[in-house]
Amino acid sequence: MRNDSGPRQRPERSPAIEGCVEEEVLEWYRMSPQERWAESMRLWDTFYQLGGQLEPEPDSQSPFDDAGARRAGPADGRPGVRAVRRSGV
Amino acid sequence: MGGQACVLYGAAEFSRDADFAILASPENLGRLHGALEDLQADVIAVPPFDVEYLIRGHAIHFRCRHPEAFGFRVDVMSRLRGVAPFPELWARRTSWDVSEDVAVDSLSLPDLVASKKTQRDKDWPMVRRLVEVSYDSGFSSPTPERVEFWLRELRTPDLLLDCVRWFPEEARHIAHQRAAVQAALAGDAAGIEGSFAAEETRERELDRLYWEPLKRELEALRHQRGQKG
Repeated sequence: MRNDSGPRQRPERSPAIEGCVEEEVLEWYRMSPQERWAESMRLWDTFYQLGGQLEPEPDSQSPFDDAGARRAGPADGRPGVRAVRRSGV
Repeated sequence: MGGQACVLYGAAEFSRDADFAILASPENLGRLHGALEDLQADVIAVPPFDVEYLIRGHAIHFRCRHPEAFGFRVDVMSRLRGVAPFPELWARRTSWDVSEDVAVDSLSLPDLVASKKTQRDKDWPMVRRLVEVSYDSGFSSPTPERVEFWLRELRTPDLLLDCVRWFPEEARHIAHQRAAVQAALAGDAAGIEGSFAAEETRERELDRLYWEPLKRELEALRHQRGQKG
């Protein structure tokens, strides 16, 4: 590593990220792509079995949005691409 | 190229649709037709499934009726704003073996990040997370390309500050190209935030301008369809 005070050993991971990213999100980041894919498929199955809506949510910012044809919002009220998990709720 | 790619790269948990970037050649469109038939996919909304619309940058939207994918949305595009033409995207794609018998190709990480710089609020957290994952996983093996990617694309102020501390020479080298890097080198957190905001505003405006004529076309198509229907 280089910095203004001279060379230092670079750690395997930057400690800074732990101060920026929640622990649960970091766990997701650190899964392998195969693990994430498998977990995502499991989430998909649960979502589908619980009757999750496949319609994209109304998004007035999307160039594809057709305000005239807008249906009611999705039953789960969540966006089409699910953000990585958040802690707390 | 969309949410599913974000899952593979680590920025999202799951997506309830699939977005494909394709080569709009007659041969490839024939293959796409076959795949869509297998999925019993119908075009929904506008535009119709016509190569001319793909070439102009539109997305074609489908919904599947196959029992194993009932209701699933598939969107197909051939041209994306802010990224290279398809042959270049394909040449630098990432291939994933997601399970023993399933392989998936996606946009490369830099291309995916570029494609997510849209006018939509929901895409910007994805951009941030995509680069965060790269910084976390690649930190122990920082190739020149990777370091440049982080310096150009990190959108997490503390990580950009961290990055310029670890890679000051590289940061100084590109500082004149990114105000946020200049601010990070100066330890100016507020300056970084301001630069991020300016970058986002600019990209949103470019995206809006790109889509303006295409949205007019879509509105005209909807109007025509309404008159017919």
